[in-house]
Amino acid sequence: MAQASISSTKIVSVSDRFTAGILALLVGSFLIFGAGFAHSNVLHDTAHDVRHANGFPCH
Amino acid sequence: MVVKYLLAALVAGLISGGLVTVAQQARVVPLILEAEKYENAPAEVHEHTSGLNISFATKAMAHETSAEAGAEDEGGMLFGVNRLTGTIMANVVTGCGFALILLAASLFTGTAVTVANGALWGAAAWLAFQLLPSVGLPPELPGFPAAELFDRQVWWFGTVIATAIGLYLMVLRPEIWAKIGGLVLMLVPHAIGAPQPADITSNVPAVLAAEYAVAALATGLFFWVALGLLLGTFNARFAKMA
Repeated sequence: MAQASISSTKIVSVSDRFTAGILALLVGSFLIFGAGFAHSNVLHDTAHDVRHANGFPCH
Repeated sequence: MVVKYLLAALVAGLISGGLVTVAQQARVVPLILEAEKYENAPAEVHEHTSGLNISFATKAMAHETSAEAGAEDEGGMLFGVNRLTGTIMANVVTGCGFALILLAASLFTGTAVTVANGALWGAAAWLAFQLLPSVGLPPELPGFPAAELFDRQVWWFGTVIATAIGLYLMVLRPEIWAKIGGLVLMLVPHAIGAPQPADITSNVPAVLAAEYAVAALATGLFFWVALGLLLGTFNARFAKMA
């Protein structure tokens, strides 16, 4: 693990890593929320089979 | 450089979303369609039983109809697309979302997703996002009885977070307290227990449910391993272009 963190911090600084990580987490969570969890009926119907396939609580 | 990481995640998410759409057509989607035949069956079943049951069924149906009428919108497909297109769109969005979350985990822990460890990253994410939540909330077919939706979503979310942090402590931290703490953290949501329906009777045949549980979990594992491998591949490829 030590080696992996050295190789990834070589490419980007720690603060860049965390900025990018927070950005990725926010955008990713937004997408998952929209496709899998939003209570809108239109989003539910469109993503219906995908919600079931991923085991997202549905109906 | 950061932009390249984000780009790698989006490309990996797009491709794995496309791949899993194909994989879902093998077992998962046919079983969902099969279960839907039983989903609205109660009315038919009750018609053949005693008068008391008929009045019960009618009341239940009237309640359901009024609840639906009070909903915020009518439903229907986004942009008016057909069912398969809706599934492709949702898979691509879900794929990109999960790829970005996997990337975030890699950036926070300082452990790069590579071609060599991509499948393991994917398998770990599958444990956190699908298998462990499935212990309390098994893969659900249309027509299954279920507890309040919001309560289940809260439990699902909490289980994913606890499992992900637990896996980090167990796998990436060398200390013995971290390994024990991680294991305990992963068990906590199951000690609390997932919200369960009061009445577990269902018209969906048990064999369909069993087949579906295996199909959904196996297809999910395929998706996550593909996503991990693709993310590792594109990380390496895009890093070289820097």
